[in-house]
Amino acid sequence: MERRAFMNDMVRSELEDAVGVENVSVAVSDRMTYGVDYFWVGRMWADRGQVPPMPDWIVRPGSSEEVSKVLKIANYYKIPVHIWGGGSGSQGGALPMAGGIMMDMKRMSHLIELDEVSRTITAEAGMIFQQLEWYANEKGYSCQHIPSCLTCGTIGGALGHRGIGIMSTKYGKIDDMCISMEVVLPNGDIINTLPVPKHAAGPDLNQIFIGSEGTLGVITKATFKLFEQPENRQFRAFLFPDMHSGYMAGRDLMQKVKPSILRFYDEAESGSIIKKILGFEKPGCFMNLAVEGIKKIVDIEMEIILEIAAKWGGQDLGSEYGEKWYENRITFFYPGHIMDIPQMFGTMDTVATYANIEKIYWAMKKAVNENFPFVRYISHSSHWYEWGCMNYTRFIVDPKDVPQDPEEAIRLHNQIWNVGVRAAMENGGVINDHHGIGLKLSRLMKEQYGPAMQVTEGLKKALDPNGILNPYKLGL
Amino acid sequence: MFSEKAKKHADACRFCWMCRHLCPVQLVTGKETNTPRAKGLQVSMLERGMTMDKDCARTMYECLLCGACTNDCATGFDPLIFIREARTQANVLDLVPPGVQKVIDRVLETGNVYGAKVPKVSFEGIPAAGETLVWLGATARYAVPETVEALFAILKKAGVAFAALPDEPASGAALGDLLGFVEDVRQQAKQAAEAIARSGAKRVIVLDSYDAALMRHEYPEWGIELPEVVTATAFADCLIRDGRLTPKQTEGVVTYHDGSRLARDLDEHEPARNILKAMGYDLHEMWQNRRLAKCCGTAVAGQYMPEIARKVAENRWNDVRRTDAKLLVAACPQSTEALAAAVPEGYAYSDLFVLLNEHL
Repeated sequence: MERRAFMNDMVRSELEDAVGVENVSVAVSDRMTYGVDYFWVGRMWADRGQVPPMPDWIVRPGSSEEVSKVLKIANYYKIPVHIWGGGSGSQGGALPMAGGIMMDMKRMSHLIELDEVSRTITAEAGMIFQQLEWYANEKGYSCQHIPSCLTCGTIGGALGHRGIGIMSTKYGKIDDMCISMEVVLPNGDIINTLPVPKHAAGPDLNQIFIGSEGTLGVITKATFKLFEQPENRQFRAFLFPDMHSGYMAGRDLMQKVKPSILRFYDEAESGSIIKKILGFEKPGCFMNLAVEGIKKIVDIEMEIILEIAAKWGGQDLGSEYGEKWYENRITFFYPGHIMDIPQMFGTMDTVATYANIEKIYWAMKKAVNENFPFVRYISHSSHWYEWGCMNYTRFIVDPKDVPQDPEEAIRLHNQIWNVGVRAAMENGGVINDHHGIGLKLSRLMKEQYGPAMQVTEGLKKALDPNGILNPYKLGL
Repeated sequence: MFSEKAKKHADACRFCWMCRHLCPVQLVTGKETNTPRAKGLQVSMLERGMTMDKDCARTMYECLLCGACTNDCATGFDPLIFIREARTQANVLDLVPPGVQKVIDRVLETGNVYGAKVPKVSFEGIPAAGETLVWLGATARYAVPETVEALFAILKKAGVAFAALPDEPASGAALGDLLGFVEDVRQQAKQAAEAIARSGAKRVIVLDSYDAALMRHEYPEWGIELPEVVTATAFADCLIRDGRLTPKQTEGVVTYHDGSRLARDLDEHEPARNILKAMGYDLHEMWQNRRLAKCCGTAVAGQYMPEIARKVAENRWNDVRRTDAKLLVAACPQSTEALAAAVPEGYAYSDLFVLLNEHL
């Protein structure tokens, strides 16, 4: 339905009535800033001087009740609503591709409770995760959700895309860490998931909304587990002769101990790291890991790790590299270090069982290299489970090979993604491990799920019959 | 439109999200435009065909120039460079928000953000010339004179012969924050340096850290020479360590707020803490301390966006409330003005020099 003449002003007045005049903006320069998140396409588009996708209204609710009011207004007028946390997502998940309302959640950033008896922490979902972590740290705890976007993304953003941090191998993904949530449904109803660690009261509603990327409801509050800060953390690095031995060593480690950090690099990515440590080039695949907790237990875990690494031919490179890496773990993500425009780049992270993960590595590499010989391809595995692990596969296109025409650049970008992700899916991997789907991979969701997609589509139809929440995302 | 330096920094910041958790304005407004990334993106788009309008100009003034973002950057990029230049552009294009323009006019007319002409400080018995000159700054002279009275008393008790200027001119710090480092600011700086030279000072003890930071960093870049510049906190700390002051001992828990320019621009953290410890206080730190400290709201911003400045001060008090201290102390007059106006029930605020003077 088209809105004509002064209709937008009528809607604006209703929104201002809901959240306060000062919390609604229609200024072009304000709206423009929501048209660029971490997604390469949005960044390239802005860099080339193109007009970014813009919402019609920016709305900044201060409470769940205000979120509810906004959604009721949007539902009445059938206006799209996009939800913005930190805006640091890499998949275009928050971009206002359909215009309408942009709901910026960052006014809702209050700590609600730190429960030292239960060891939980509860906060509003617009809080930057680093702030939550600092609240925990002040009392001697940690949420142990330490992603590269710790300082950038919000609680809602981490939940919305099913995020993960560098400590995930011991402490879990965000979906393991979240105990309960408050969610505002598209019709404006405010609901709560069950406030207990686990239950048998039917399906876990948390897992419906975690990873739903703002398509099924608006997460407004969340409760997370707290962990005591580890008494001791020990690093160790190894050089394995090849990918296979590294993957198998990782599997054996995961069956017996719980490293907090386990990072395993392919030969292409290992080269420069090895040279830094050994001072000379040596072929092989590098692994860096950490174990942490009570020192007595950590000592035993490290003994077991050394035995397993030796069994698979891993050369012990000591602890120095890991300690330095940990100190500088976030530095890589600052401008000047990380890949940036005018390069084209992307991270095609996937996850699979140990039976498939190495096959996927080679299949993706082959597919990308054969179809796009000018593309550099590097990979590491940084999140591990007892029965499988993920590949964090990056492609990089040097500026000379990136089309100058922005639309042609988008076509090349999407072709590379299609080839890489399809190679993963065809070999037992999945469309994404921890960055989410967003706009970037939305078109491939039906290929991933087949008839199973009707479950998510059914939820969407039931909860959001007018389809107002975050259109064009998550294949919905 | 923008300098090459500003463009380089804006282009680096526009796609970087790393420091947004530290922006004190973003933390209280929740606005995306109150992040260094959004301001960098806006400046980069101005260089790519977007036209600056009043909303963009307003956004550029919704920043305290506290440098928390700059301090965080692992690769040395500095949003303050392009934000200051954007303010210059807003002025050139006549887009400065009316509330800000009023403050600029006051600074141009009177040299201070308050538009005050008569200082609230008594200079009776204090010479206007001498080897040691105390530079007060506008906030201390016009808004929190008790800090000046305390500093004067401390120096007298220590037997320090000092001078102060009843007609102390502007340093250029306030105008530099409001307009960017334009020629008017350099002219104010030159006049300040000339006044210091006329006093015959061989050493300047600077009370306001905003003035001290400008004198230490920008003055030399502009070719303006000054005698030795010492912060009042560092000087008082020396007086205690040299045995010229012996504070009475007290008991109690206190927390200390690091002023942005003192902590980040001047990299000075320990003198104020040493002074508190010399008085016997048990110092309990806020989580965000030293270079990581949140801004107080600032006197300049307090004049043109009082609601936001007050929320920023209240947010800093929230940090205090999570310690077990009931007394907050800061060492910069601008922090004193901002934080003393937002004391929550059951808590107390004291300027460091006022507190020290009470202990002598």
